[in-house]
Amino acid sequence: MSAAKRIKVTIDGIEVSVPEGTSIWDAARQAGIDIPVLCHSPRLRPVGVCRMCVVDIGQRVMAASCVRLCEDGMKVDASSPKVQKHRKMLTQLLLSDYPEKSQRELKTGDDQLLALARRFGIERIPFADGAATGGRGSDSSSPVIDVDHQACILCDKCLRGCNELQHNDVITRTGKGYTARIAFDLNAPMGDSTCVSCGECMAVCPTGALTNKPVAPVGAGRRGANR
Amino acid sequence: MKLLMKMMHLQEQHGAVTDAMLRDLSESERVPLHRLEGLRGFYPVFRSEPGRRRQVQVCRDMTCLMRGGPDFCRQIRTALAGADDVDVEEVSCLGRCDAAPAAAINDVPVSGSPTDIAALAAAMKSLPSNEPTANPRRWPTDPYENDAQRYGVLRDHVAGDDRSRDAFIQSLKDADLRGLGGAAFPTGMKWELTRKARGAPKYVVCNADESEPGTFKDRVLLEELPHLLIEAMALAGWTIGATQGIIYLRHEYAKERKALQREIENARARGALGKRIFGSATDFDLEIFVSPGGYILGEETALLEALEDKRGEPRNKPPFPTDHGLWGKPTLMNNVETFCAIPIILARGAKWWAAQGRRGYKGLKFMCVSGDVPTPGVYCVPWGTSVAELLAMCGGMAGGKNLYAFSPGGASTNILPASKRDVALDFKALQDAGSSLGTGAMVFIAEGRDLLQLAMSEVKFFRNESCGKCVPCRVGSHKAVELIESATAGRPVPDLIELLRELNATLVQTSICGLGQVALAPLMSAISNFPEDIRPKLETGVKVSR
Repeated sequence: MSAAKRIKVTIDGIEVSVPEGTSIWDAARQAGIDIPVLCHSPRLRPVGVCRMCVVDIGQRVMAASCVRLCEDGMKVDASSPKVQKHRKMLTQLLLSDYPEKSQRELKTGDDQLLALARRFGIERIPFADGAATGGRGSDSSSPVIDVDHQACILCDKCLRGCNELQHNDVITRTGKGYTARIAFDLNAPMGDSTCVSCGECMAVCPTGALTNKPVAPVGAGRRGANR
Repeated sequence: MKLLMKMMHLQEQHGAVTDAMLRDLSESERVPLHRLEGLRGFYPVFRSEPGRRRQVQVCRDMTCLMRGGPDFCRQIRTALAGADDVDVEEVSCLGRCDAAPAAAINDVPVSGSPTDIAALAAAMKSLPSNEPTANPRRWPTDPYENDAQRYGVLRDHVAGDDRSRDAFIQSLKDADLRGLGGAAFPTGMKWELTRKARGAPKYVVCNADESEPGTFKDRVLLEELPHLLIEAMALAGWTIGATQGIIYLRHEYAKERKALQREIENARARGALGKRIFGSATDFDLEIFVSPGGYILGEETALLEALEDKRGEPRNKPPFPTDHGLWGKPTLMNNVETFCAIPIILARGAKWWAAQGRRGYKGLKFMCVSGDVPTPGVYCVPWGTSVAELLAMCGGMAGGKNLYAFSPGGASTNILPASKRDVALDFKALQDAGSSLGTGAMVFIAEGRDLLQLAMSEVKFFRNESCGKCVPCRVGSHKAVELIESATAGRPVPDLIELLRELNATLVQTSICGLGQVALAPLMSAISNFPEDIRPKLETGVKVSR
């Protein structure tokens, strides 16, 4: 078996040698450059939908580094003010529809959208508050997973986790455009769907959309029954 | 194709694709439920519950807005008050801007005043015939004098060897033919790339899903010149080595579908399609796939996703369809008009084609004209014809008004002021003038029109038609509409125009496909080219009548 051909790319002035077929995002990681992502994880097939990882490769428009492959001699700008400005705008757009309280931040403190908001120093959202007026609703029908559609950024991670990693085949996107959202089976409440509560979706979810449901202590119910 | 065709068949038979039907389909096709929900929720043709007996669809986009007014749909609803077996809904452009305001009743196109349409919908009158015209016009891009001559170019070429394929591609290059769906990609190069691409089988696809407000030229070509499309697709099959062609047709074009289907049967009967075309070693046949709906399917990779029974969401590019198209195989995709130009280029040569243009431009272009002109319609004009000359062909401005603005190539192209009326109809010339030729959908706008309202109708179109896959387009187009609506209601946010510029830059730079990249173009061009008109309405929050 012959090794893949190696190519050289320059990212933020750092030259990296990678095998042909490597994404810009992976090459940047190798160079120690952290390109922010919401929809990507090395465990998942890249889809390039959140656009947070865009980089400037000197073309007409920017490229999503998670899906764009390196080309030999490519020069990549992954951190300039121009690139950061777009990432900040994308973060503001998502935050404008975000609920005031993220269940992930409350429960485990690792909400990745809020972390980006802190990273970009976002204090003001210039857009209408979609969470206050929209109301995409929530779904607490599952015994173990809380669904907050308002906190969903349609990053597609739960779909890939459910359908491609675990092969449970439950989650889709339904609807279209601004009203698109995730759904289970034929748009059933999660608790009535074929979900087997494996937990992969909430493990990969970067926001407060799919989180661990607080489970009542076992003893509490029994004591009540004994009374 | 199989799954979506089954779902469309169910929709047609039962007026809905219910949960019970999808459960059965899931069992019989061995497909998980979530995939079927993803399709049902995405494509506008599907309903989960049957609607009423009569469905009235009313176009809300630019030309119909100009002709029918913002209240057009409401007036139809009012006229139908009490009719409990009719649904009335506002929809995106129906591709009949030459008959604006356009509507459809149970998929049959109608037009007229609100009371006319209401009377038809209430079944007080019978619906108009939806048959293709019996008398197609004679168009200058048709090399054939009569039916008997049709497919002559194919007959002459289809037995040719690789050298004749090379010569054929060279003719397309010499003619400087470009993608006439709006992207202007050099056609000869696209054919060459697909021919050289590795992988089998290869496919030939015609993008007949024109849906951009103002655009209806392909509709006329499909109805009146279907033989040119079929011939060019067969030539494409011979050139690149494909045996299967698919015409992806928008579902509103039922009449055109009949014309196309009849001509496909005619071509088969003559030996121009099927096994061993005209006795040669070339096999090629065609099928029509009717789109389950949505403007985004005109984006080439979204179209391919739909053909693969997925939600029609554009792919990240590269790879491009020439290498990695339908089912990951090399796929040659062109627009209807591009294909239809090819037989005459072959028949008469690239030099003849070039000589048809004016002012140094090459060829003939189908323009679809609508808006404030007495005779809207499709005009076949020499490349290089000026905007003012095209306007004169359409009878000048209606009612003797002055030209104020024009949108040269569909909703995605920048709106230009009347002072640019002498610019030539050409990709480069219009680009230099600050816009683009796009699909050739020219909308003429008279003085006195509310340009902000018209530009916003186009932005709203893109918001409505966003697939929702990527953040900038899904959220950004929605927030832009909200920003303008709050400004025209008298509550502009501070530094609105600067904010719009930044938002637009992010949509242009980071959206996956062309839809997101152009979503705010009509608005931004109106702000730049008509500052005295638009800026005060946005900055001071002057209430704008709706």
